[in-house]
Amino acid sequence: MGAMRVVIAEDAAVLRELLGRMLVERGHEVCAGVGDADALRTAVAEHRPDVTVVDIRMPPSHTDEGLRAAIDIRREHPGTGVLLFSQYVETKYATRLLADGSAGVGYLLKDRVANVAEFTDALARVAGGGTALDPEVVTQLAGASRRTAELAPLTARERQVLSLMAEGRSNAAIAQTLVVSAGTVEKHVAAVFDKLGLPPSQDANRRVLAVLRYLRT
Amino acid sequence: MHDIPRAVPQDGPPATPRARTTAFLRAPLSRRAWTETAYCLLAFPPGLVGGVLLTVLLALGAGLTVSLVGAVVGVLVLTGCLGLARGLGAVHRALASGLLGERLPRPAPPRPGSGAVGRIDARLRDGAGWRAVAYVLVKLPVSALGMYAVLWWVTGLINLTAPLRWGVFGQNTSGDGDGMPVLTPLPAGGLAVHGFTGTFGALALGLALLLLAPWPTRLVVEADRWLLRALLGPGRLAERVRDLEATRALAVDDSVALLRRVERDLHDGAQVRLVAVAMCLDMIRERLDAATPRPRGPEDPPPSEREPENPPPPGQEPENPPPPGQEPGTPSPPGQEPGTPSPPGQEPGTPSPPPLDLVRLRDLVDTAHHNATRALTELRDLARGIHPPALDEGLPDALATLAARSALPVGLSTDIPRRPTPAIETIAYFCAAELLTNVIKHSGAGAAAISVAEEDDGVLRLRVGDDGRGGARVGAGSGLTGLVQRVRTVDGRLLVDSPEGGPTTVVVELPLHA
Repeated sequence: MGAMRVVIAEDAAVLRELLGRMLVERGHEVCAGVGDADALRTAVAEHRPDVTVVDIRMPPSHTDEGLRAAIDIRREHPGTGVLLFSQYVETKYATRLLADGSAGVGYLLKDRVANVAEFTDALARVAGGGTALDPEVVTQLAGASRRTAELAPLTARERQVLSLMAEGRSNAAIAQTLVVSAGTVEKHVAAVFDKLGLPPSQDANRRVLAVLRYLRT
Repeated sequence: MHDIPRAVPQDGPPATPRARTTAFLRAPLSRRAWTETAYCLLAFPPGLVGGVLLTVLLALGAGLTVSLVGAVVGVLVLTGCLGLARGLGAVHRALASGLLGERLPRPAPPRPGSGAVGRIDARLRDGAGWRAVAYVLVKLPVSALGMYAVLWWVTGLINLTAPLRWGVFGQNTSGDGDGMPVLTPLPAGGLAVHGFTGTFGALALGLALLLLAPWPTRLVVEADRWLLRALLGPGRLAERVRDLEATRALAVDDSVALLRRVERDLHDGAQVRLVAVAMCLDMIRERLDAATPRPRGPEDPPPSEREPENPPPPGQEPENPPPPGQEPGTPSPPGQEPGTPSPPGQEPGTPSPPPLDLVRLRDLVDTAHHNATRALTELRDLARGIHPPALDEGLPDALATLAARSALPVGLSTDIPRRPTPAIETIAYFCAAELLTNVIKHSGAGAAAISVAEEDDGVLRLRVGDDGRGGARVGAGSGLTGLVQRVRTVDGRLLVDSPEGGPTTVVVELPLHA
């Protein structure tokens, strides 16, 4: 993915400006930086960005304005990816966000901005219609799942691969993270799909969807 | 102390003698005098009937009880008396509230006992009931006095009509020729007038009686007010308990609100700043990587292990241009960029600052970044320990997140139709979290279950169960003692059922309000 057009919604000015500067330095275009959900809706309608970074807790009520705006944006502007980012991870937020599918959505802890390269990778994935879920989100989804018994036969490595797939990573990215060859990852992925009884899929998006649907039920 | 707020007197003592006289002359026409008179009139029938009835029943009940033969019946009659007295008390409270503005809170209902004997025992120990009995008994003479006060008004009004009656009926109303009788509320013997002019004396007496009538009325009513407050109110101790309960609820709610604010401030203040710091550090790291010949990943060994690789910085070595003829092969630090000039205008002889060692700098930034991200994680855990943000969405959501984060499979069921106050939700949440931690730490269980429901008795019951080895006890350093104390701040209870060998169920009962 080349240069992205981004709208940032974050009520803390420090973080909003820093994020903007970082993205501009990396050659992306920041169309707007806003501090509340209404301004976000307006900015997205006006600029039609590739992706928008949305803080969940924003004025006036500081509860879930960002999440609600994100869900609206997904519905009204399907071409715009939405990356929610938040101070903490809540199971309910994740399930609400993923209720309409996982294409072009992300949910990361704010801490992840501390790794600028990974964060922009995740942003690019979401902008390109992919998924980016925080490892904590995946852990919670798995923890809330009633399928713990079915996950039991997976080896530790296969569990890792499952989590990384759920985070929305490609085989190449998984291979890099686990420091193994792409072939090994493919073998693990096949084993996971086999053990869970999921139809194998090469398409990354469909694969995330299958894994998430599995974890959420 | 904690006086019951009383009605402010409608007309306080006027300041000047003139005003005092006016007030005195107007007293019979004042609203207060009339309502007080109406109170005396209306409170008389229930006062009389209730007083007589209760006296008879009490005598009967006491007699039967003492007689041993009818002891059971006697006790039953006595408990009936207490119930009757409470009922009559309610009637008198209603009258006082409607006419005198004397609003008395209802005393707490008698404690429910269990079993027939327990219930009778609880009724007989009902302090508020016995005080009501006392009031009803004292009210009997007081209501009689009240009627006497009304008599002043009646006689006054009758005497006012004396000239009229003389004119209409003539003097001989009673037919015995003794003249027309003049009525007085005092036992002053048989006064009578014998001429039309005399009737004006009766009229003057009537006026005087009406002028004075408000004062006996007020005297009786004031005495009654005092009795009402002393005997039909909730009592000083009960009042104090209520007061303490109210302030305790405030304190509990307050502390929860405070913790919530602290959590917000941590998340929206310190955490955001720390994220910005970590982000900046990462950006610095990227730039250093671009400038350093040997970029390193974050997985590299810590700087201390790499130290020997780096030549020590040329601390005391003067950086002045080397004298001609010296070997140019002196190793320059690998991080130093070729173009780095030595500071211009340097005094010869002073030691120059060491050149920028990019590798070392990169290590420092790495360490700072590592610490910043660790601090972020710790801060998030700390904030969650203070007040889990999901609680804002309600107990079910917060418990769902708790269950999902748990290392153990946790079954969760919630049924809370009415949302409890934030303080109760917080206590319930932390109880669940602590009990779950106990399960993981001590029970060796393979699974746990949390259920929370508002049950028919209006009590919120949190149940945390596991299939572990059991043997949990309050006071065994299990952390349960702390929970018991926490639950007690809102009159809740914690019940442990944990036989050796398991399974364990802990039930926490909480009211819906603090």
